[in-house]
Amino acid sequence: MKKSDKKPYNQKTGNTIVSYLWSAPSLILICLIVIFPILYTGYISLTNMNVYHWFTYDFIGIENYKEALLVFDSGFLSALVLTVLWTVVNMILQLIIAYLLAGLLNTNGLKLRNFYRTLLIFPWAMPGYVSILLWKTGMFNSQFGLLNQWMEKAGVSPVKWLANDVSAFICCTVVNLWLALPFMITIIDGALQSVDRSYYESALLDGANWMQRTWYITIPAIRPVIAPSVVITIFTTFKQFDVIYLLTQQAGAKTGAHIHTILTYAYENAFITNNYGYSSAVSMIIFLILIVFSYVINIKPKEES
Amino acid sequence: MKKLTALLLSIVMLIGILTGCGAGGQSLTEEEKNTIVIWHDKEEAVSNALLEMLQKLVPEVTVSLEYKSNLTEALKMVGNDPKAAPDMYFFAHDKIGVYAEMGILAPVTDLVDRGTLDDSYVKMTLDAATYKGELYQLPIYFETLLFLYNRLYMPDEKAPKTTEELYSYMEEKTRGGHYGFVEQHSTAYYSAGWIHGFNGYIMDADGKVGLGSQETISALTYHKKFVELMPGESEYATVNTLFQEGKAHATIGGPWLVSAVRAAGMDLGIAPMPVIDETQIPISPYMGVQGVQVLKYAAENKTEAVKKVLTALMQPEVGIALAKVSGCAPAVEACYEKEEVTSDDVVMAMRAMAENTIPMPNRPEMDIMWTVAADMLVNINMSGQDVKESCEAAQKNAEELIKKMQ
Repeated sequence: MKKSDKKPYNQKTGNTIVSYLWSAPSLILICLIVIFPILYTGYISLTNMNVYHWFTYDFIGIENYKEALLVFDSGFLSALVLTVLWTVVNMILQLIIAYLLAGLLNTNGLKLRNFYRTLLIFPWAMPGYVSILLWKTGMFNSQFGLLNQWMEKAGVSPVKWLANDVSAFICCTVVNLWLALPFMITIIDGALQSVDRSYYESALLDGANWMQRTWYITIPAIRPVIAPSVVITIFTTFKQFDVIYLLTQQAGAKTGAHIHTILTYAYENAFITNNYGYSSAVSMIIFLILIVFSYVINIKPKEES
Repeated sequence: MKKLTALLLSIVMLIGILTGCGAGGQSLTEEEKNTIVIWHDKEEAVSNALLEMLQKLVPEVTVSLEYKSNLTEALKMVGNDPKAAPDMYFFAHDKIGVYAEMGILAPVTDLVDRGTLDDSYVKMTLDAATYKGELYQLPIYFETLLFLYNRLYMPDEKAPKTTEELYSYMEEKTRGGHYGFVEQHSTAYYSAGWIHGFNGYIMDADGKVGLGSQETISALTYHKKFVELMPGESEYATVNTLFQEGKAHATIGGPWLVSAVRAAGMDLGIAPMPVIDETQIPISPYMGVQGVQVLKYAAENKTEAVKKVLTALMQPEVGIALAKVSGCAPAVEACYEKEEVTSDDVVMAMRAMAENTIPMPNRPEMDIMWTVAADMLVNINMSGQDVKESCEAAQKNAEELIKKMQ
């Protein structure tokens, strides 16, 4: 009896080992691509690797962390506040706009639906770098940008869109939305299609209006589907570098705005030193901040479930 | 069968990935010793001309030119790995300090005779290529900024001789979407010319930061009144497009701009830099020297082939061929005896400018200085902050960041 009890257990263990063996190549790849760089950065942060000790660096303990904490001054704190504001504003706008557009795409009897879908996904097909610089020169440039050309035609004097903090923040948000919306629209569009039509039919029979149908049927139904993408997007927005750097701070093309996220701030105050030990320490601290941030974000869904 | 194939493929893939990390260390064959790989980031016309000259002058050495768009970062990663690093690289002199400190460069004087270099090169180019007393680059050609003007609007006799003449011209002509003069006013590379004209400096050859010096403050205070008559954006695309489209009458730009504006049909004039009235020193921009650096491993293990390539690159015909395709000035003095060089107004203007230019500092600290100086210029010129306060804050910031390099 005992023997027969053990057999399934052994079989189960064996199956688990075989499963791990089959996924070993992928796991090793993930370790090499994701885990190893983090561990290596952690190791470098404990050394004096810099231009003067590039290949012959020594272990110096937590010296770099003592230095790195100086980066986290008032400038860093205001950058952190701005990063949170940037993430919140972008996420709210992204969800609202993507929901509205996805809703429109799912309107009954909409002609050319696939054409609109392709059009809306287009920004995703373009390299981000190109899109951002196109927006910068084609839209916001005070001499040649479309916005100022229109304003000139309307008799209004040209505006330096990227020169002051508020308008530069708005411009960066617009460009970030342009880049990020295709992802969110695709996810919400898919989620909307998965909602059972019969719920709506019943609700209509009960006399529910659009707002009630959205609030009591659509949102609860699509929430589990879009939740992971929202978490992913929160992270990509939080650690956004390209949009803000290329629009306002690119070397040789600074615009005069002083909007810094934690990454652009760390870049200007640590990474340009070519001191890899010190920069790695700054990166590790930012990494820890992101871990805490992710923990805070994940608390709520867990409690709800 | 499917499972077996998948397993085999996975193993092959893993081996493929892991063998990339393996180390080499075998001695070189004769063929390998005779093969020279040169990394560069130049346009095709320049690399083709270089390859053609080397194939003609040293047919016994197999030279391979490889384009690397992110050459400086790639070298940092693989500079001491003989299997991945090149034998030489063709780049501007301003990164010499970084690689010399990293210990991956060999002085070229270990491979070619110093006396011959002193006798045959424009002195300024050798000074630029020297770091801590050692010459780490064999200069090929040099480039600097030029005062360029559109003859359609600014006839030769109106080309300003002094900065005050330039200012009067700007006041008179800057209106209705037209600008008398434009430049990349908030970029350190461009503003340096004005700072040098007041005897100031961004960083001197000994690594001393000069952003907070009285000379720099005076220069930027004076420069600001010119900036007020220029467009708000100061980046490369806006400034050059304004000039190319005839909306700006004059600019300070590099030789790379000349062929584009001439191709667009502009009657282009090139004048000496205006002299600053207050100091009687002309605007004195930075000079960049493009040349070949040799990596230590190649200098030690492929000595003969490297020597042959360097000797070939010292021939005036190489300088002439490369200067012609790049629009820059050759570093070898003998080139200026040839009619094809003396007849080129851009090259001759740059040769004349060489006396007034300052070589870009080649110290590792310059990576910091470009960013800090640009921030300072933006604060002064675009955010309207006080000149003295901005300069002093930038000085402090630069010094702190330099300390963090160690």
